[in-house]
Amino acid sequence: MVRLVDLPAYEREHLLSKNEPPLGPPVWQSLDKEVSALRVALITTAGLHFRDDPAFEFADSTFRPISNNEDSNNLVMSHSSVNFDKSGFAEDVNLIFPIDRFRELETDSKIGSLAEVHYSFMGAGLNPSAYEATASQVAGLLKQDKVDAVFLTPV
Amino acid sequence: MTTGISLVRENTASMQPPRALWVSFPLGRPLGAPGDAAFQHRVIDAALTLLREESGPVLVDYPEDAPKVEINDAPACPVSFARPALNYDTWETALITELQTLTSWHDLGRRRRNGRTLAGVSAFSPRENLQKLGQLLDDNILPTNELKWFKAAIEDLKVFYIESLTAQPGTYNPKQLENIFWHETTLGAALLKFAELFKENPALAAMARIIAPRSATEKNQD
Repeated sequence: MVRLVDLPAYEREHLLSKNEPPLGPPVWQSLDKEVSALRVALITTAGLHFRDDPAFEFADSTFRPISNNEDSNNLVMSHSSVNFDKSGFAEDVNLIFPIDRFRELETDSKIGSLAEVHYSFMGAGLNPSAYEATASQVAGLLKQDKVDAVFLTPV
Repeated sequence: MTTGISLVRENTASMQPPRALWVSFPLGRPLGAPGDAAFQHRVIDAALTLLREESGPVLVDYPEDAPKVEINDAPACPVSFARPALNYDTWETALITELQTLTSWHDLGRRRRNGRTLAGVSAFSPRENLQKLGQLLDDNILPTNELKWFKAAIEDLKVFYIESLTAQPGTYNPKQLENIFWHETTLGAALLKFAELFKENPALAAMARIIAPRSATEKNQD
C-alpha cells in the first residue's frame, strides 16, 4: 500500500522529496454536459508505447500517441524507474491503461465516446515543469480531437 | 477537464491538480487489481464522479484497498533457483544456464497471455543480452559507453523473468516475485553486482538507482 506510514524511511523520504508546488494559478472547468456525453482520452505517465515506437530515454519529456484503434495488448513499457511493480501490468494492460474498461463504458453509454488518440508520457527523472511544452502540445491535440475530459493514470 | 488517480497522496495534495482520487494501491497498480474488471470499474467510476464536483481542487480518498494475495495462496514458483551462479565458474555460464531453465516457462506464460509479452523492447535477444552482461561481469567491466543498451537489456530481462515466474495461471504477490527475482535468481545477483560497481564509480553512481530498487539493495547488505 502506498500509505507513507507503511513504507521504510528511505522510501518515504524519496516520495516526499517529489512534493512540488502547483504549476500555476488554480484552474477549474465545470462539467457543462452529462458524463454520459463526454468524449474521453486516457493519459498515463507509465512510459507506455507500441513496440515499434522509440523507447523513452532515462529522463524524457516527450510523449507517445496511442491510437484508440490499435490493439492495446501490444503496448510495452520503457519507464526508467525501478521502484514500482511491473508484474501486474504484464498480466493486464488495463491495470495501468484501462482502455478495455473505457470501451465498456462507451458501449454501455456511460461516456459519450473515446478519443481517436490517447497519450503516454514517462514520469521519471524530471521536474513537472520540464513537461510544460509537450503537455501543451498534447492539450492542443486533445482540443482538435474535441476531447472533453481526460482520465489520468500514474504508475 | 481532468480527473485521475493519485498513488502518493502527499504529492497530489502538494501539486493540487483539479480532481484526483487517491488510492491505497501499490505503485505500478493505479487500477488496483489485474484481471478484475469489476474492481477496476469501481475505481474508474469513483474518479469519473469527481467530474461532477463544482469547485476544487478535489482530492478524495478511495475507500477500498486492493485485494491482498497471501504468499501461501499464490502459485508456486515453477523454477528452483538457489543461486546456481555459485556452482559455475563464470557469470556468463551461470546466466545462460539459468536462461535455459526459464525459456520454456516464458513460452508457456506467453501462450497463457494469448501471445502478449512486454519483453522484446531491447534490440537484442535475452541470450545475447545475458551473454554480454555475463562477460562484462567476468571481466569486471562497466558498460560506460553503452548505458542505453544496458538499461534496455536489464529491463527487458527483468520482465522476461517476471513473465516466466508467473507462467502459471493464478494471482501473484508482487513482493514475493520481487524477492525471488532479486534474491534467488542469478540475474538478480548479477544486477546487484552491477549496482555495487556503478555505486563505486563517482561519475556513474546515479545509474545504480535505476538498476535495482532500494528494497533489494538494502536487503542485500543485511
